[in-house]
Amino acid sequence: MTNAADVTSNRLVPKKFFGTWFLHILLACMSLGLALPFTWMVLTSFKPLTEVQSENWIPQLWQPENYKEVFTVVPYAKFYWNSLFIASWVTALQVTTISLAAFSFSRCQWPGRDKVFMLYLSTMMLPGLVMMIPNYQIMITLGLVDTYMGLILPAAFSAFGTFLLRQFMLTISTSIDESAEIDGASKWRLFWDIILPLCRPGIITLTIFTFMGNYNSFFWPLVMLKSQERYTLPIGLLFFDSTRGQSTHLMMAAVTMAVIPMIFIFVLLQKYLVKGIQMGAVKG
Amino acid sequence: MSTKKNRTVRELATGLGFLTPNILGFLTFTTIPLIFSMIMAFSNWDLKLHNMFKPEASPHFVGIENFQRLLSNSDFYKYLGNTLFFMMNIPFTIGGSLICALLLSKDLRGGSKKSALMIIATAILIASCIMLTLVGMGASAMTILVCGLGCTFLVGGALGGSTVYRTLFYLPHFTAGVATYLLWKKLYNPISGPINQTLNPILKKVEVAVNATNSSVIQSGLWIAIIVIGAILFMGLKRLNTLWRDGDLGSRAIILPMFFLVLPSVMASQWFPIQAARYSIAIVAGVLLAVTLFMIITSKQEFDCKPSNGFGNALMFCLFMMVIQFIVTGLGIVAYNLPGMAEITIDNGVSVGGLTAPEWLTSYHWAKPALMLMGFWGAIGSNNMLLYLAALTNVPGELYEAADIDGASPFQKFWNVTWPQLAPTTFFIVVMAMIGGLQGGFEMARTMTNGGPAGATTTLSYSIYTEGFVTGRLGYSSSFAWVLFAMVFSITMFNWKFGSRYVND
Repeated sequence: MTNAADVTSNRLVPKKFFGTWFLHILLACMSLGLALPFTWMVLTSFKPLTEVQSENWIPQLWQPENYKEVFTVVPYAKFYWNSLFIASWVTALQVTTISLAAFSFSRCQWPGRDKVFMLYLSTMMLPGLVMMIPNYQIMITLGLVDTYMGLILPAAFSAFGTFLLRQFMLTISTSIDESAEIDGASKWRLFWDIILPLCRPGIITLTIFTFMGNYNSFFWPLVMLKSQERYTLPIGLLFFDSTRGQSTHLMMAAVTMAVIPMIFIFVLLQKYLVKGIQMGAVKG
Repeated sequence: MSTKKNRTVRELATGLGFLTPNILGFLTFTTIPLIFSMIMAFSNWDLKLHNMFKPEASPHFVGIENFQRLLSNSDFYKYLGNTLFFMMNIPFTIGGSLICALLLSKDLRGGSKKSALMIIATAILIASCIMLTLVGMGASAMTILVCGLGCTFLVGGALGGSTVYRTLFYLPHFTAGVATYLLWKKLYNPISGPINQTLNPILKKVEVAVNATNSSVIQSGLWIAIIVIGAILFMGLKRLNTLWRDGDLGSRAIILPMFFLVLPSVMASQWFPIQAARYSIAIVAGVLLAVTLFMIITSKQEFDCKPSNGFGNALMFCLFMMVIQFIVTGLGIVAYNLPGMAEITIDNGVSVGGLTAPEWLTSYHWAKPALMLMGFWGAIGSNNMLLYLAALTNVPGELYEAADIDGASPFQKFWNVTWPQLAPTTFFIVVMAMIGGLQGGFEMARTMTNGGPAGATTTLSYSIYTEGFVTGRLGYSSSFAWVLFAMVFSITMFNWKFGSRYVND
C-alpha cells in the first residue's frame, strides 16, 4: 500500500510542480488585470495637470503636492472627519442595539418571540427605496435634515445585523445558560459576562461591516446633507466631478486617499471579514 | 400555577427589555415609514402641487391611479428593460467568481516546503530575467511597469499562497463605491482615458488587417457562429435529454430551461443581417429541438421522479448556455459587419469610417456595456467567490477519489462532482444576485452618467430616486417602489418555494 502511494506521488510530483506554476502565472495575470485601474489611479494622482492626458502612465514630473492641494481646494479633512465621526457613532450604536436584540431573540424564552423574529426578518426583503421618502418626511418633522443626528439615528438599527449575530449566538451551547442560572447569575450578567465575550469574533466582523458600509454609504447622505461642512467623503468626492471636472489629477489624489484606508482595513482584518461573509450566507 | 405565570411575565419583561432599544428604532424607521409609504402610494402627493406656498391644495386619495399610470408608461418598461439588461451580467460574474474560487482552492504550495521554496526561487529568477531583458531591449516604461507589477504579484503569491491572490481579487469589490465609480468614469473618458488610449492603436492594426483581407473570409464568421450556436444547442439539449432519461429532470421542470436554451436561436433568426443565415439558424435549432423533443416524448425514464424534479439545476445550466449563445450571436453579427465598418472612404478630401474605439459612457449603445464591464471588475472576486470557496472545501473528498478510480477527466470531475455539489450555493447566489440586480444601479447612474445618455442607464432604483427627490412626485414614486417590491417579493417566494426542494433532490 505504501509502495503504491509512493509510486503515484513520484509520478505526480513533476506534473504537479508545473501545474502549480501554471496556476501561479494565471492567478498573477488575473490579479494584474484587476489591479490595473488602481495602478492608474495612484500614478495619475502624482501627475501635474499638463500630463494628465498623456498616454504614459508614469509621471515625467512627480508632483506629490497634489495631495496637499486637495485639502486646500475643498475642506477634505472635514469630509474625512465627518465620515469617520458618523461611521463610528453608527457602528457603536448599531452593535449595542444589535447585540441586545440578538440576545433577546436567542437566549430569552418569551412567548411570541419567534413570531416577532420572523416579522423582523421579513422586513429585510423590503427595498430600502420603499422607506426612503417617508423616512425623509420623518426627518423633516423631527428637524433632523442636514444634521449628523439625521444620518446616525436611522442607521443605528439593522435587521440583517441582528439576524447575523443571533445565528452566531445560537451556536453557543445552552448548557452555559443553565449553569449560570444555577449559580444565580441574572440575565444581564449572562449577557455581559458570558455571551458577549464568547461572541467576540462575530461582533468584530459586524463592527467592520457596519463601519465600512457607513464609510461608503451614499444614498442617505446624498438626500440628507445640504451644507458643505457636513459632507461625508462620498458626497465630497462628487464635488471634484462637478465643479472641478478638469482637475483629474486632484480627483485621483482624493479618490486614492478615500480608497487607501479601505484597502488597509481589508488587508489587516480580512480573516474576520471572510469568516463573517461565509457565516452569514451559509447559515442563511 | 401562579409562580409559573409569574415566571412567564418575568421572562417576557426581560426579553422585551433587551429588545427595547432595537424595537424602538425598528418602529420609527421601518414600521411607520412602511405604513406611510403604502398610504402615499395611493395618493397624488406632488411637491409641485402641494407645498407650503399652496396651503389650500392638499393631497388626496386617488386609488390605483398611480399604478395605472406607471404600468401604462412606456418609460417604466424602458427602465425595467435597462435593469434586466444589467442583470445579464449576473451569469458572467458568477461564472468568473466560480473560476476564481476553483483556481484558489487548488493547492498552490505544490505540496511540500521544498517545492514551495523552489517556486519562490524560480519566481524571483524569472521576474528578474524578464526585467533585465526588458531594460536591455530598451522597452517603454509602461511595459516595464506592467511586467514588474505582474512579477511582484507572482512572487507575492508564491510566498503567501492563495491568501495574497484572494486579497487582490476581493479588493475591487471591497472598495466599490463613489470613489471607484469616479475612477472608472475617468478611465472611460473617450479621449484622455487610458482605456481608449490603449484600444485605439489596437483597433488601427485590426482595421489595416481587415482591409487587407478579403471581406468574404471575415464575413464567414457569421456561418462559424451558426455552427457554434448549433453545437452549444446540441450539447445543451443532449444534457437535458440525459438528465431526463436518468430521472434527474421531471416533466414539468424541463419546459422553462429548454425555452431559455432555444431563445438565442430564435432571437438570432430575427437579428442576423442576411436571409440565408436567418433561415439556417432557424432550421438548425428547429431540427435539434424536434429531435430532442421526439426522443424525450418517446423514451421512458429509467428511474421515476417527480414532475418538478431538478428544476433549479437545469435552469441555471440553461441560463449559462443562453448567455454564451448570445455572445456567439453578437460576435457573428460583428464579424459580418466588420469589413463594412473598417472600410475607409474619402469624402470631400476627409477620410470617413474606419474602426474607432467606442465613446463608452457618452454613447447611447455603449453606456450599458461600459457599466457592466465595470460591474464585472467589481464582482468577479466578490462575496460570491468567498461563498464558493467555502462550499468547495465542503465537497466530500471521497467523491473525487471515486471519480479518480473511474478514470474521470478533470472536466468530467467538475461536471459530475463539483457542479452538482455546488448547486445549493449557486442557487443561493443567483437568487441574491437577482434581488440585488433588480434594486441596483443607483450609485453608478448617479455618479457616472446621471441616468443618461437619453435614459440608457436609468434603472428602476434610479428612476424611483429621481421621481421622489428630483421631480417631487412623492405618491407616484412610492407606488413605483412598491411595484419594485412586488418583483423582489416574487423572486423571494420563488426561492422559498423551489429553492431547497429543486436543488437538493
